[in-house]
Amino acid sequence: MAARTGGRRRTASLLSEGKIKKREPLARPWRGPLKSFCARLIGASVAVTFVVTFLAGAPASAQQLELKVMAPAAPGGGWDQTARAMQQAFVASGVARSVQVTNVAGAGGTVGIAQFVNGAKGDGNQLMVNGFVMVGALAMNKSPVTLEQVTPIARLTEEIQVIVVPAASPIKTAQDLAAALKADIAKVTFAGGSAGGVDHVMAALFAGTVGADAKKVNYIPFSGGGESLAAILGGKVTAGISGLSEYDGQIKSGKLRAIGVSSENRIPGVDIPTFKEQGIDLVLANWRSVVAAPGITPEQKKTLSEAVEKMVKSDSWKDILKQKGWDDAYLPGDAFAEFLKKENVRVTDVLRSVGLVKS
Amino acid sequence: MTTDSAGPETSASRGVDKAAIVIAGLLAAVALVLVYDANQIPATTMYGMGPQVMPVVIAIGLGILALANLIDAVRGHLPARESADPVAVLLILAGLALLIAIIGFGGGFILATTALFVTTSAAFGRRAFVTDLIIGAVLTTVIYLAFDRLLTLSLPAGPLERLL
Amino acid sequence: MDTFAALAHGMAIAVQPMNLLYALIGVFLGTAVGVLPGIGPALTVALLLPVTYKLDPGGSLIMFAGIYYGGMYGGSTTAILINTPGESASMATALEGNKMAKAGRGGPALATAAIGSFVAGTIATIGLAFLSPYLVDIAVRFGPEDYFALMCVAFITVSATFGDSPVRGLTSLFIGLTLGLIGIDKLTGQARLAFGVPELLDGVEVTTLAVGLFAVGEALYVASRRHHSEEKIEAIKGSLWMTREDWKRSWKPWLRGTAFGFPIGALPAGGAEIPTFLSYSTERRLTKYPEQFGKGAIEGVAGPEAANNASAAGTLVPLLTLGLPTSATAAMMLAGFQQYGLNPGPLLFAERPDLVWGLIASLFIANTMLLVLNLPLVGLWVKLLAIPTPWLYAGILVFATMGTIAAKPSVVELSMLAGFGVLGFLMRRFDFPIAPVVVGLILGPIAESQLRRALAISLGDPMTLLQSPISATLLAVALIALVAPFALKGLGRFKANED
Repeated sequence: MAARTGGRRRTASLLSEGKIKKREPLARPWRGPLKSFCARLIGASVAVTFVVTFLAGAPASAQQLELKVMAPAAPGGGWDQTARAMQQAFVASGVARSVQVTNVAGAGGTVGIAQFVNGAKGDGNQLMVNGFVMVGALAMNKSPVTLEQVTPIARLTEEIQVIVVPAASPIKTAQDLAAALKADIAKVTFAGGSAGGVDHVMAALFAGTVGADAKKVNYIPFSGGGESLAAILGGKVTAGISGLSEYDGQIKSGKLRAIGVSSENRIPGVDIPTFKEQGIDLVLANWRSVVAAPGITPEQKKTLSEAVEKMVKSDSWKDILKQKGWDDAYLPGDAFAEFLKKENVRVTDVLRSVGLVKS
Repeated sequence: MTTDSAGPETSASRGVDKAAIVIAGLLAAVALVLVYDANQIPATTMYGMGPQVMPVVIAIGLGILALANLIDAVRGHLPARESADPVAVLLILAGLALLIAIIGFGGGFILATTALFVTTSAAFGRRAFVTDLIIGAVLTTVIYLAFDRLLTLSLPAGPLERLL
Repeated sequence: MDTFAALAHGMAIAVQPMNLLYALIGVFLGTAVGVLPGIGPALTVALLLPVTYKLDPGGSLIMFAGIYYGGMYGGSTTAILINTPGESASMATALEGNKMAKAGRGGPALATAAIGSFVAGTIATIGLAFLSPYLVDIAVRFGPEDYFALMCVAFITVSATFGDSPVRGLTSLFIGLTLGLIGIDKLTGQARLAFGVPELLDGVEVTTLAVGLFAVGEALYVASRRHHSEEKIEAIKGSLWMTREDWKRSWKPWLRGTAFGFPIGALPAGGAEIPTFLSYSTERRLTKYPEQFGKGAIEGVAGPEAANNASAAGTLVPLLTLGLPTSATAAMMLAGFQQYGLNPGPLLFAERPDLVWGLIASLFIANTMLLVLNLPLVGLWVKLLAIPTPWLYAGILVFATMGTIAAKPSVVELSMLAGFGVLGFLMRRFDFPIAPVVVGLILGPIAESQLRRALAISLGDPMTLLQSPISATLLAVALIALVAPFALKGLGRFKANED
């Protein structure tokens, strides 16, 4: 399952890079030859949900919600998939009557959030998907609009990061890599995704945590998972950083050696030690979350938070998570607002330390 | 070379080509913009080459080319141009502007492309507006139905599309 | 499993009547969407993927392969007929192909493109089946410095598209390089030439530039010269089919194009543009009819088309053996495979040989269907050129803008399309070649990133470019290709002076 999503994520990154539009069948359920099929499918699921909610005695008022969810990225990427998964779960669980997904692509969400903050102000029916990458993108692009302006609702999912080395590398553990960094940081090259993205932040954090100068990390961004993987397999770089599922196949086949994952605890079913148990205090995940428009009333915020909570607890959301291989990282309300603030500070600090953000 | 080169070569005798001097000036201006923009980029790169190097290299190239174009212009080493029909060009550009405006204001695919169809055929000398309007509307409607409905392409929908 | 037995088994599944029908439908749909300028094979596959959802895995895999090949061929059709390459890889095709079409030789041009694609696709698919494990070992050895050297070779070959004036050709190239700078710098995340416009941060889309320069620019230019009515498009002149002579002049370019396309396509960052331009410039140098180049030489269509198709099969090598999607098209293929629970990667050949060989067999079948469907259609396509000029160009503009509208319906993007149209018009009017602009936009950013990656790895030491044997060899090739024409010319002049 994990390998499956790996491919998807990689696809997504290439897609957004090639600015290719990938159509999900759910994008417009009422059009084209899929129309009758989808109508039947949704009709059936609505009927089922109706019976379920009736039996559970749930109030019918939530049925009235008509939501708009913005994915601040091109169709096909991670944020788009999250938005469409929410659409599916919202409707299937009967939390909302209809959900419309819009895509506003550009510059790691910078274009999308600007439109969201200006266009959706005070609208209690609009949501926007965002995530780790947007924090860095906003800082780097000197966006006039920031995440402080939106109303945080909840963190939804996360993906754990991994550091790999070529199978023939003398580096066997995270401590070996730390030693190499401390010996000569310039000679340790990291391959990963776009500059300022989660892979880059992780390289800088790793160096900083083990006591090397994070400013001097030699991080080499590649476009798309394919190119960086080739550079690692070909031994052109010392190590590679990516989401765990992306390199899963290569790790299992023995072409790459995983020297550590960035989770708090061991991931069940994954035979890779965490950095923490190797004595390196580095915990990081590529999270995705959902936020609401600025200037909404507390009642509107409450309605949306409850709707998201119901959606997250629904079976169809759990099914989607399993199917896509996403880890549930649900964190609602003030705890999420707090988390968002902390991540903002942490990421901006790291990016400033590597010189990507000017203070 | 993608199109037929413009007419017979009668250049050498024509003297200074003003338009070519403008082109040389524009190239030089672009080069200056590149250098200016490159100077705005904060130097952050630790290893290798920074993001400001390539713009400067390209700017130098553009500067040299501006000079070469200028020399060509002064010597009159340019192929002759035939007279152009400004009305036709403006008509098509008006059509494109209409298309962008209609899409921008949510007028939908059929209205937008029909406008472009009619202005373009007018630019090519057609004066039967009503006929072209009908042909354009039918053509774009068929295209819309075929690609949007049958092939599930997503084309912007306006008032007309919602009627279908 | 024995390769031959596995392939035969896959073939047996693919040739069932229902599956053949799916292949035909796929090729038809792919061609129909692929002819839209600005919608290349990757986008075609993306847009039509939902259509395949309803079939069983075998059938949808085959239809998928059909859509893919149909989309590729669709791009070449518009390149030849209306001088509007549907994607960057068919730009080289447009150079000679459209000249042929305007001279009434559109039929042979389309035919040599279709047959060349078939030949190249077949050879490359055989290569994929038998050489994958070896090729992929070489492919991952290519580091950033080697890619940079490859780009240097590619830049030299661009000069073949310059026309008569090197100054104007280089000017075009540098306009393209400048456009390539726009947007966020990939290595440092700094914005360049975006002037605070967020929509510009993602840079200039290649298809928007190509469609604007070629299709919109051409329409503006032709309209502006309407009163010089000497230029008439002739739909058919001479044979609609390839003559003996055409065959004789086509088969070698097909093979050479394949030889360029397949290995470069197999490189993780190789792409399809470089082999098509390498093929074009090679044919231009080798031809026995140099006077026809620039006026419609069939070699200039046969070679690049074969290279284009072969490189597409080449990208499947890293995809199937390593799970590396190395192009947007490959990424779409990956998305397609995943619909059928197929996870490309190092274990794929071992774990699911049935599906891999089924896919390879499907590619063979789809390739054949492409020929079956499109050869009879050549006559129909060519007749499109007989439409009265006002409606023909009005229709071209509708189709050209439609590609952009479907791909990215934003006012900024459409305005860029119109702006590039004006640029294309002015460049035609002042006799600057168009193709180098697009080439500059494609190659410039790749060359820059790879050079900077190489220098970052070597800590700023430029000698890294000469220390890698692959890079050193390629740079030597580039140097020879650059100097040789001048040397030969100088020699020629020297001799002429002696006379």
